[in-house]
Amino acid sequence: MNTNDNSRREFLATGLLAGLALAGCSTKKNPFDELANDVKPSGEMVKLLSVDGEVIEIDKAFLKPVPDLPQVSNEAARMGIAGKKFVMVIDLARCKSLKKCQSACNHMHHIHPGQNWIKVYPMQDAEHTAPYWQPTTCMHCDEPPCVKVCPVDATFKRQDGIVLIDSDRCIGCRFCMAACPYSTRVFNWEEPSLEKEIADKPYSCETSVPQKMGTVGKCDFCPDMARKGELPHCVSACPNGVFLFGDMLEDTVTNGAETFRFSDLIKDKAGYRLMEDLGTKPSFYYLPPVGRNFPFENNEKKEATK
Amino acid sequence: MEQLAKQKIIQDLLPQKFGKQGKIWVAGLIVLCIIGVVAYIRQLSKGLVVTGMRDYVSWGIYISNFVFFVAISLVGSLITAVLRLTNVHWSTPLTRIAEIIAVSAITFASLIIIVDMGRPERFYNLFLHGRLQSPIIWDVIVITTYFFISILLLYFPLLPDLKIMLEVKKGFSKGMLKFYSYLGSFWKHTPGQIKLSEKAIGILAVTIIPVAFSIHTVTSWLFATTYRPGWDSTNFGAYFISGAFLVGAGGVVVAMYVFRSHYNLKEYITYDHFDKMGKVLVMLALLYLYFNVNEFLVPAFKMKKPEEEHLRGLFTGEFAPIFWFAITTSMLVPILILITKKGRRPFPAFIAGVLVVIGSWFKRYIIVTPTLLHPFLPMQDVPANYKHYFPTWEEWAIAIGSLAGALLVITIFARIFPIIPIQETITEKEEHEKALS
Amino acid sequence: MKKHYHRILLAIFGLLPLLMMAQNAEKNSLSLTLKYFNNNNQTQYLVVQAKSKIDGKFQQIPNIPISFYIASETVKENLLGKAITNEKGEASLLIPPTAKAAWIKTINPNFIVVSEATKKFDEGRGDVTITKAKIKIDTADGRVINATVMAMKDSIWVPVKGVDLSIAVKRMGGNLNVNETQTFTTDSLGAVTAEFKRDSLPGDATTGKLTLIATVTDNETYGNLTAEIPAVWGNKCNYNAEFDRRTLFARRGHSPIWLELMAYGIILAVWGVLLYLIIQLRKIIKLGA
Repeated sequence: MNTNDNSRREFLATGLLAGLALAGCSTKKNPFDELANDVKPSGEMVKLLSVDGEVIEIDKAFLKPVPDLPQVSNEAARMGIAGKKFVMVIDLARCKSLKKCQSACNHMHHIHPGQNWIKVYPMQDAEHTAPYWQPTTCMHCDEPPCVKVCPVDATFKRQDGIVLIDSDRCIGCRFCMAACPYSTRVFNWEEPSLEKEIADKPYSCETSVPQKMGTVGKCDFCPDMARKGELPHCVSACPNGVFLFGDMLEDTVTNGAETFRFSDLIKDKAGYRLMEDLGTKPSFYYLPPVGRNFPFENNEKKEATK
Repeated sequence: MEQLAKQKIIQDLLPQKFGKQGKIWVAGLIVLCIIGVVAYIRQLSKGLVVTGMRDYVSWGIYISNFVFFVAISLVGSLITAVLRLTNVHWSTPLTRIAEIIAVSAITFASLIIIVDMGRPERFYNLFLHGRLQSPIIWDVIVITTYFFISILLLYFPLLPDLKIMLEVKKGFSKGMLKFYSYLGSFWKHTPGQIKLSEKAIGILAVTIIPVAFSIHTVTSWLFATTYRPGWDSTNFGAYFISGAFLVGAGGVVVAMYVFRSHYNLKEYITYDHFDKMGKVLVMLALLYLYFNVNEFLVPAFKMKKPEEEHLRGLFTGEFAPIFWFAITTSMLVPILILITKKGRRPFPAFIAGVLVVIGSWFKRYIIVTPTLLHPFLPMQDVPANYKHYFPTWEEWAIAIGSLAGALLVITIFARIFPIIPIQETITEKEEHEKALS
Repeated sequence: MKKHYHRILLAIFGLLPLLMMAQNAEKNSLSLTLKYFNNNNQTQYLVVQAKSKIDGKFQQIPNIPISFYIASETVKENLLGKAITNEKGEASLLIPPTAKAAWIKTINPNFIVVSEATKKFDEGRGDVTITKAKIKIDTADGRVINATVMAMKDSIWVPVKGVDLSIAVKRMGGNLNVNETQTFTTDSLGAVTAEFKRDSLPGDATTGKLTLIATVTDNETYGNLTAEIPAVWGNKCNYNAEFDRRTLFARRGHSPIWLELMAYGIILAVWGVLLYLIIQLRKIIKLGA
């Protein structure tokens, strides 16, 4: 009986997965989508009232977000979402280091205080070049040096391009941290301070929650949100629309408010990737800080010099 | 006459009970080990937060200690294999010293790497989920192999000595005799056995060389396979191996001196041995110096931006004192001491050996840590203490405890087994006399 | 005596604001914003956002239990359902068939959300009144999309003029406009026409199918409406994820052949030798036995 239930739940999850993958995802404002005829029906029907005042039945699999979306299995989390290739674009012209992205990320992933998965660097390449703010997350490289060196498959590259960490697998050797040229990985040197409720949750590679002592953590591109058709927390938290997220195979990136065709955007604004010469092939693009929305003001530095 | 000489050799070389100094030495080592264990228990319960390591310096003295152990263990192959295959016979009395240093160092290298792990209880994942692409897995494979070969290389030449001790009986406790007979009661010293054993040792001597090169090359690849300035070098394998032979030979000279003076082995470990090992050390120090010049001059000539900060930190900056200390003590001063005939007498050679070992330990620290403090992107959005590294007392205690543990294994081994191969010494002497007559 | 009476009154009135402030210091007022959604003329749902001004900043409040009502919150039968706000302070509810009677009764249904007072927050209330409306969407030759906004008037659907809507390709997290026009406004026939100018935009793998979507966003009268239609105007998107390719960054068991050959070759050779030596050792033992 129990196993039956489980298999049905998994079936539901894979149905949703396929729906998301093939039909594209609904917007934040439209979390329901019954046009996705590629979705496998779950057999569980929900009765609804239509605008014409008729009672209609809709398969639960077509409703998004499903109220009790089951956590995907470790195997599914390692495979990734089929037919997707996630990409992030950062518009450097819009960043004024408000760090809303950082605080949203820290909050949603229950990161240990003092740790940051998103870092906003004050950059100035040389004396006479322009200073600018550079937010970095994990670059989710297509040829990730961190994954190359992991001895136990604890960090892995998925088919949708996302690089994740399995904190139940990680042995804490920290080779990946040494291998990552973007200094994106952090280590849980002590027991992360978590509410009991969070700490007792089973670990999920897709939410990266809960963080565990003696293992490595980093930005995960919020694949749990992507499964729901929603944007990563940093993207929706940024008031200036610096972060644009999307699916390369849809050739679209969005910050929720504005949506761009990815290829056009990169072409028009001369997008680039960080440390291209290392051959890591990041899934993370930057638009140069041209025509800025804000002047560069480094208050941290001022405070530090005081 | 011949019988008498043989008896004397046996009596001289049999393992001896600890004297007063020996007991103090062993007690001291045990105390250091216990302190290390206590520190490790603290680390287990609180996590790696008890160390000075943080997100930028994610590898500290545990890893430099690991590299040091792997380096020093290479001497087993140098003394027993390289010199044996080149038909050098003067090194025969030193083979067992070299081999036990190798076995004990490689054991503690594996232990210290487990100490460095955030989740040591998941060690089995390396076997359950091992990825062949990871240099760590290569390291696990080659270190296991090297350990196994070193044990065999220790064991085969020990067999005739076990027989000798079992025959002497006197001065051994019942338990020890039982242990000896468990290990080697089958050795009857028949020509058939000798032939098989010699063949096996010959094969081992050949096998150990590529494996020894592998362990240290792979260890260097743990660094060289990353992009970081200071590690991103094609020179790294050779650089590490030359350094490893240097520190290993230094360690053997130190051990030679200690065993010689404490076990009264002046007739067996002679001035000649120190003279020759001194020359070997000079050669190895020059070789390592050559690789150092390569390793630092070439990037310093170009001064690529990421390298610049790193190199300035070493030459004139934060790490300059340790950097120049390591270079001076591990290479320059030993060369100056050992280049003269007088410098190759036992005591000065011993001092040079000690300097080599100490300098080499700090050299490993210089290889591991400064690089990590010069990432490609600036250090940002981290607490202030993440931007520096100084080992905590727990780290020192564990690192020193592991070094003490390695010395303890060597000491106990010398208490149980003859540290200079008895049978081989007799055979050499017989052959020598035969050649004279 | 009268003087005293005045004093007491004064004291009470004087204290009252203080008392209220004290209460305010403990509890924050909660504002509930309710929105109506009609997706593709089928699913209708409500989304409420709970916000509160704390330390001078509006914050999204999670874990607030919300009750949804139609027409009025005083009649028990009008309860549509309950939900609890999530991390973003949002809670949503599909309009259930039980609301049918109340829904049919009017062309301007009214929705109300109520939250009871909690330890940290006062009770909250929010409502929205909409006019029943829907979008009709169709495609025509020459890659043109026609959309019409219809509203309910005297129990029949009539076209409405002057409604802003966007016409876009449905994408993950946001919709990509079909051309450079951000919003279209309906004409006197309630219609807009948009030309599809996103050449060679990737669609699905087999046919290049795209989903077109017309959206009315936050309209004061009609709420949020969408309508979707598939169109085979995209490029076939054939993506080879190379997930199973043998690379240095692939998972266990997917290492490059050259690496496997080298590694296993070396391991077999060396351990073969060691095995041979073990056999030699056994021979030595036998000779001694």
